[in-house]
Amino acid sequence: MVEVSARQQHAFRILMQRHMPRALRVAQRIVRDPAEADDIGQEALLRVWSHAASFDPKVAKFTTWFYRIVLNLTFDRTRRRSFHPLDEAGEVPDTAPHAAESMIAAEEHRMLQRAMANLSDRQRGAIALFYVEGLSGQEAAEAMNLSAKAFESLLGRARAALRESVQKIQDTGSFA
Amino acid sequence: MTFDEFRRLAETWGGDVERWPAATRNAARPFAATLEGGRILAEQARLDRLFAAAPEIEAGRAERSSFLVLQRLANVQQRRPQWHRFLFPRGLVPAASLACSVLVGVWLAGAIPYVHPPSDPLSVMSGVFDVYAIGFGSVQ
Repeated sequence: MVEVSARQQHAFRILMQRHMPRALRVAQRIVRDPAEADDIGQEALLRVWSHAASFDPKVAKFTTWFYRIVLNLTFDRTRRRSFHPLDEAGEVPDTAPHAAESMIAAEEHRMLQRAMANLSDRQRGAIALFYVEGLSGQEAAEAMNLSAKAFESLLGRARAALRESVQKIQDTGSFA
Repeated sequence: MTFDEFRRLAETWGGDVERWPAATRNAARPFAATLEGGRILAEQARLDRLFAAAPEIEAGRAERSSFLVLQRLANVQQRRPQWHRFLFPRGLVPAASLACSVLVGVWLAGAIPYVHPPSDPLSVMSGVFDVYAIGFGSVQ
């Protein structure tokens, strides 16, 4: 990061290699649109480049700072937009032959997509940081600019809503 | 900690006690070791695995996005404001010309041999009279 602050493009390329997938994953989990997630990822890295000098490692870890940038950009977009880019009906089923395990995984993935659609953006953010990115509760709270207690409450509500949705989907047995 | 609290924490933080807030872990471990506690954690761990399924990001997609970032940076650098273009490098032309002139002057001063004028009295007098001769309508 010191080299990025000193405008070293080589260091910035390495940083992008490491962190672009994180940005895309988190953004996509929240906005559910790959193209929009790509835009957010690019914008986040541009912000890292232009605001590198303001990053202070004594205040926060780089990943926490970076996730906060990604989340702010993502929530800004979801606040502005008035449509849902991807229909909540989930993805088109792949009819190619698969092993049983990957079929189960694909089915679970579709079920999760459906269930995630019922959550708020902030709840999806909490799930992405804690379960997908593997941040601790404290780190995720910092990245979302929340107190530890508020994050616990958000995560608890998100998890309860997801569990309920998954149960409902399993009971009706339909992903459509 | 009561069993209800243990269940509530499991339903919030999931099936891995080691990922719970540090302040709750020690109290939770004895409950986790019980049959009922183990069953609750196993049920939550199944959901954890489902929730942890990440959207698939191919390497090519991340690379393409990184390339586009570099391209956008290059575009921003090309679109420098007018004053910036005026100053760099065209604005440096007068200063560079002056510096070159000074350098040439110094080089010439060192390269051309310095000729001492004769300083004996006869030559000095001759020079003085020659000058007057030129100045007052001599044949020259």
